[in-house]
Amino acid sequence: MSAGRTVVALVQSRPGALSRVVGLLRGRNAEIRSLTIGDSEGSGVSRLTVVIDVADAEHVVKQLNRLIEVLEVKDVTHTAIVERETALMKIDAPEPQREEVHAVAERFGARVIESGRDTVIVEVTDTPDRLAALIHSVRRFGVREIMRSGRLAMTLGADPRMEAPLHWQAQADGTA
Amino acid sequence: MSAERTGAQIMCEALIREGVDVMFGIPGGAIMPFYHAMWEYRDRLRHVLCRHEQGAGHAAEGYARATGRPGVCVATSGPGATNLVTPIANAWMDSTPLVAITGQVSSLVLGKDAFQETDITGITMPITKHNYLVKRAEELPYVFREAFHLARTGRPGPVLIDVTKDAQQTRTVPEWEVTLDLPGYCPPTVPDRTALRAAATLLARARKPLIMAGHGVIIAGATEELRALAERTGIPVITTLHGIGAFPQHHPLSLGMPGMHGWVHVNRAIQECDVLLNVGARFDDRVTGKASTFAPHARVIHIDIAPCEIGKNVKVMVPIIGDAREALRGMLDEMPARDADGWLAHIRSMQAVHQCRQAYLRRPDTDELMPHDVYAALNRALTDRGGYRVVTDVGQHQMWAAQLLDWRRPRTHITSGGAGTMGFAVPAAMGVAIAHPHETVWAIVGDGGFQMTNQELATIAQERIPNVKVAIINNGYLGMVRQWQELFEGRRYSGTPLSGPGFARLAEAYDLRAFTVERADEVDDAIAAAWDHQGSTVVDFRVEREANVFPIVPQGRSIGEMITEAPQAVGA
Ligand SMILES: Cc1ncc(C[n+]2csc(CCOP(=O)(O)OP(=O)(O)O)c2C)c(N)n1
Ligand SMILES: [Mg+2]
Repeated sequence: MSAGRTVVALVQSRPGALSRVVGLLRGRNAEIRSLTIGDSEGSGVSRLTVVIDVADAEHVVKQLNRLIEVLEVKDVTHTAIVERETALMKIDAPEPQREEVHAVAERFGARVIESGRDTVIVEVTDTPDRLAALIHSVRRFGVREIMRSGRLAMTLGADPRMEAPLHWQAQADGTA
Repeated sequence: MSAERTGAQIMCEALIREGVDVMFGIPGGAIMPFYHAMWEYRDRLRHVLCRHEQGAGHAAEGYARATGRPGVCVATSGPGATNLVTPIANAWMDSTPLVAITGQVSSLVLGKDAFQETDITGITMPITKHNYLVKRAEELPYVFREAFHLARTGRPGPVLIDVTKDAQQTRTVPEWEVTLDLPGYCPPTVPDRTALRAAATLLARARKPLIMAGHGVIIAGATEELRALAERTGIPVITTLHGIGAFPQHHPLSLGMPGMHGWVHVNRAIQECDVLLNVGARFDDRVTGKASTFAPHARVIHIDIAPCEIGKNVKVMVPIIGDAREALRGMLDEMPARDADGWLAHIRSMQAVHQCRQAYLRRPDTDELMPHDVYAALNRALTDRGGYRVVTDVGQHQMWAAQLLDWRRPRTHITSGGAGTMGFAVPAAMGVAIAHPHETVWAIVGDGGFQMTNQELATIAQERIPNVKVAIINNGYLGMVRQWQELFEGRRYSGTPLSGPGFARLAEAYDLRAFTVERADEVDDAIAAAWDHQGSTVVDFRVEREANVFPIVPQGRSIGEMITEAPQAVGA
């Protein structure tokens, strides 16, 4: 499987905006692997990271730009970025296996956030690669559920083009 | 300052504020409050009751294409709204400013599968520039302002406004002073100087330059600028299907149409040219053929208002993003005079050897009425009389019209290009006729397409629209498909032979004047009679059943590979 393209967009929150983004990707022959959306630094503006499989990424980015809600959109696949993902994992951890589960979690910098009779829930935030490595390492204990947040990406250093307009930030601060 | 109004009244006033004078539609439960209000505004807002919402949508498109102003169509929720899907998709593909207004079930039952509820905003999301579901009357002034702004600016396109029944009924004081909040919508206008300079330099140095003019020239109203640039530089001009009318075809620099049914000399010129300036065309696959083989020697300059079209199908060396008129003006400022005499002479010599359209206008050795007889006669009439628009449907008759008529003015050739929607011509011609009541509007349509929307003849009759003249090129086949079957599928005419009612009798049943023509020597008289009749008419031209459109480039092949004659004739 190819690595996919990571696209970050700043989107005005209007009714149906997410639906438009998703529908457009489908209609333009892009397969969504991961999609994360949430509030941004600006009021009424969301930021999303989407990882897609697509033959012509440039075309899809231009098409996304046609949506009137999309304020900025950028393919950051070959840009210097940080990428993070959070996962919750429910792992089989009866005694005496429990010790070992805790040890692996610790080795990966994951936190055990719930310890039940037979299972533990582990939370981790890391790069996609290290997350995959952790999941691989805990499989042998028996993994009951995995919930991943989807990819978050942010370009390194100042990137004014990708920032929400100042007056919207002010609104979010409550200073306007 | 303004008094309380119902949402429906606000909708009417918003339309008037946007300069709308006519709309095409069909009422129903969810849009009834709007129709109720419309009655009060009927001296300023004309409503044309169509027979099918598809007809209403195409009529609005015709109006828009003939005027450049947004066309408006109206439907009720559910089936009314879904019947608009085809014209909306058509307008999307052809960048036509269209505002579709649909009624929606009350917000109180929305999402509950209420009677005639359909998620029309969901359905039309991928085929509209934007769409709205309005649940509160207070939002209507803003939404209408924004919708019309989006429909007509930048690259025009369809916008749908779905209004719940309760929003139409609620009374409120409209707030007309609105400021558009569209930070994510900034259509480019003035193109980048450096790009213009680079383009001018490329063109100045080219030995075999070509200009390809598309729909964007017409939408931007840039025909004068195009002509000035061509004349200043002596660069020959080709016009795509939607570029027809952007450059007068009798101009010494005009070459004609490229692409699947383009002329041999035009496609050859593209394959030979060293610089190609594309103004407002989008390198559709019907123009490029196999895109990787298109214009192999050319460095491409592409002027387009839509960045998403740049580099989509063809690699572009100099992109110029902006309004075609601004761009051409900018290039004129930068462009030294030059000439391309030798190159033009070369193209003309190819034209003389391989093809001249007169060959197609000549009657072949047969007694039957050839489609070409009809076009030759129509061309004579159009040229002699002037004051016309032509709307074509989709199929062979459409390509013959593009090839064989002498196009002179922008917005006189209106067709369904990007979507290729059969059934477009008759209702669209009705919209054009209403937009230009003093011109004669010819709808050239196949017997197949005519049978898809001919119910609008009833609308034409009821509205007493006098200036629609329908020419049916009746070949008893879904001709274009039959032609592919003949040429590429061993003449297996699967699902293409087609019967119809007597079209003249059908038209007479609608109280329209009608003629049937079966012989070449009757054509001129029939066209004259139809033109002179003080009402809309239908002429049934019963033409040779298996006439073909040539040249043709087989789908997926290079435009260098043209078939110019039926295979048996090639061998002979
Ligand atoms: C709505 C729709 N259905 C099917 C087609 C496919 N199609 C393209 S051309 C054509 C034949 C058109 O026949 P007719 O209207 O008689 O025109 P002719 O080609 O014979 O001139 C068909 C079926 C289409 N373009 N649009
Ligand atoms: Mg036919």
